[in-house]
Amino acid sequence: MITFESITKTFPDGTKAVDDFTAEIKKGELFVLIGPSGCGKTTTLKMINRLIEPSSGSIRIEGADLTRWNLQELRWNIGYVLQQIALFPTMTIEENIAVVPEMRKWSKNQISDRVDELMNMVELDPSVYRRRMPKELSGGQQQRVGVVRALASDPDILIMDEPFSALDPITREQLQKDVKELQSRIQKTIVFVTHDMDEALAIGDRICLMESGRIVQTGTPHELVHHPADDFVRDFIGDRTNEWDTPVKKMMSCKSEHSVNVADLPNSPLYPAPMYIFDSDYHFLGRSREGEIEDHSVTVSPETMLKKAVEYFETSDVDALPVIENGKLIGVLSYKDIVRYMQQFHKESGKESV
Amino acid sequence: MGVFQEMLDLFQNRQNMFWTLLWEHIHMSLLALLCAVFISVPLGIYLSRKKRVAEPVIGAAAVLQTIPSLALLGFMILILNEIGTFPAVVALTAYALLPILRNTYTGISEVDPAVKEAATGMGMSSFRRLRKVELPMAIPVIMAGIRTSMVLIVGTATLAALISAGGLGDFIMTGIDRADNAYILLGAIPAALLALFFDFILRVTEKTSKGKALTPVAAVLGAALLVVALPLFSFNQKPDLVIGGKMGAEPEIIANMYHHLIENETDLNVEVQSGFGSTAAAFNALQVDEIDIYPEFTGTALTALLDQTASPGSTEEEVYERAAKGMAREYNMAYLEPMQFNNTYALAMREKQAQKLGIETISDLGPYTDQLTPGFTFEFANRQDGYLGIQEVYGLTFENVETMDAGLRARALEVGEVDIIDAYFTSADIVEYNMRVLEDDKNLFPPYQGAPLMKQKTLEAHPELERILNQLSGEITNEEMQQMNYMVDYNDADPSIVAREYLTDNGFFD
Repeated sequence: MITFESITKTFPDGTKAVDDFTAEIKKGELFVLIGPSGCGKTTTLKMINRLIEPSSGSIRIEGADLTRWNLQELRWNIGYVLQQIALFPTMTIEENIAVVPEMRKWSKNQISDRVDELMNMVELDPSVYRRRMPKELSGGQQQRVGVVRALASDPDILIMDEPFSALDPITREQLQKDVKELQSRIQKTIVFVTHDMDEALAIGDRICLMESGRIVQTGTPHELVHHPADDFVRDFIGDRTNEWDTPVKKMMSCKSEHSVNVADLPNSPLYPAPMYIFDSDYHFLGRSREGEIEDHSVTVSPETMLKKAVEYFETSDVDALPVIENGKLIGVLSYKDIVRYMQQFHKESGKESV
Repeated sequence: MGVFQEMLDLFQNRQNMFWTLLWEHIHMSLLALLCAVFISVPLGIYLSRKKRVAEPVIGAAAVLQTIPSLALLGFMILILNEIGTFPAVVALTAYALLPILRNTYTGISEVDPAVKEAATGMGMSSFRRLRKVELPMAIPVIMAGIRTSMVLIVGTATLAALISAGGLGDFIMTGIDRADNAYILLGAIPAALLALFFDFILRVTEKTSKGKALTPVAAVLGAALLVVALPLFSFNQKPDLVIGGKMGAEPEIIANMYHHLIENETDLNVEVQSGFGSTAAAFNALQVDEIDIYPEFTGTALTALLDQTASPGSTEEEVYERAAKGMAREYNMAYLEPMQFNNTYALAMREKQAQKLGIETISDLGPYTDQLTPGFTFEFANRQDGYLGIQEVYGLTFENVETMDAGLRARALEVGEVDIIDAYFTSADIVEYNMRVLEDDKNLFPPYQGAPLMKQKTLEAHPELERILNQLSGEITNEEMQQMNYMVDYNDADPSIVAREYLTDNGFFD
């Protein structure tokens, strides 16, 4: 449990970055700090591992004031994921992950086993990637390493500073899912900074919306969406109450049974139809008809509203539509996705009426 | 291609000397480089953490580097009151500080702030962050600085020969002195190859470490340390007496004669350290006990060291007596008896031109001061018994006066770049280049006879020196001296051997 009590941070130039911030982050919850840039969310985050010291007020972890902890041990126990990823460029992937365990004087075998375990957890084959250098990995792969590096010595707390903002949308969504899944499995307390409300709503257990250093509203995603405290919150979240006005990117499947890499085309089953084909760069090539590639013109973009997409379904004879952004196939929208989304939306709305 | 062949022959004949000088050069360069690394790298790291003081400190190092290397070497003699390897290494180190310091500072400062924050946020101590993250990332930049400094040092170290520190510069200085390209190349080419070789080693080191492991860097540092420390383990017998000598064949031959005579008759361990670029350098070395004895000309002692004028027409004895008294009074130095030859200054011209213009005496130059260009040594141009005296006594002021190194004058005269030069009377050049020596009709130039100069206390410690060295009193004629100079300058004979032969042939060892 992390407790902020009347935290204020004034920088030497007089800027008040954080103003009377009081909050309690529960054990095992994923707590999102969100707000426009300059609202003090990152400053608040960095006070947890004392990269920034508060001007007044106190922060406690498990009831003990931060200043009473040994600074290095405190930091070893708080995994830190940066927006810039910031892997150590002169170290291999393995060495990057081993940084904190080494400082904690784990044995070589223990470290090696832990590296294997963590790399497998984020689907990076250790036999392939262990000795690679960070620059040899894609951005998404690097940030997966960034996340497991923070988890390496099994800290109780993970703080993440806009960790996915530099990544492309597909990778970002995948990693958001990974983090959410990780958290449900390993039960860490995660403090997550973002400026992207979609991200916050997708992963947060609770969301704390800040503006000019102050908390505007703290609550579950549902509370924020359905009971915004004021117009600022309402504006920041946007109108999310009408399910038909949701962009299709919120419900499409990134990995779909309806899409296949052109290289795998000969081995792919003929069913289900339609089957959309992309190349190794995810460029959309068309759809498969009896093993051949055929042009396909009815597509949607990730920002297309659901009500519009449904019109496309009505005018064409397909059960699934390719979602294309800049010529790349980033997902597939099928009837199943729409039904699943509707179910979830109404479950949340249902909570409201209870 | 001829000159390369000459250089190879010279290499064959001077192998021992070559390897000694090469070793001196390597030793001096590595020592300076290591000092620079051990000062600059820690300082650069410190400055990267104290940015406020960084600018002034790096500025100071930059100022050191703007001092011309020659001047810096000169300052070191004055500041450290010593000549040889020590001041040379200090000067080279000062010279090499900036590139390493600046690159270390820059390399560490420019490590991505996000990466530094990641290291701190993950709980690395400041030292661990430096060792594990910042230094490995900065290594390529630091190594680039070290390589720059290294090339700088190996090149500048050739100048160290001027302050008697040895190294390949000795060959280059000798080459300039004798206007012999083979010598210059024998010094310059290995110096350049040495720079390339070191650069290669450092580049390989950097590649092997790939900015990752510090082990190869440490290995190379260790090897360099070993090379530098090697002479500490070898026996380093300090000589009892050091005989000095100015640059040129004649002083070197005379110094070697002293050497042979003293070693022949005593058990003293004597070493010759010649090649001082000027009278001031040699005399300064004598004053600070860097050398114990050196042959000085009577005329030079009187005019340059005692700042007196020799009245026109003074006899050889008068000049010697006045010089000996003056040296004893002003510097508490003993000036033993002079040899016979008189290596006085003279003005010389190309025989043909002198004939055409009908010039035989210095006074005959009167009508031609605007047409003839003299080429004087720096020393001659500023001496009372030199160009200053020519202006006063003869009333001759030339329109254009070139100043140049002693070794270059004869060639410059030969090719017509200048028309009049100051020459030494016993110089082999006069014969070799067919020059006409102009008569000093107003007796401006005092006699210049070589004689041993030493501190009084040296003579008191070794009273037998007076008898031993005075054996040369009144010996060696102008012709004999000219002959020996010719052997060294034009037949490339070893001055030590020439000296020994003269002494043997004239029965000094009987």
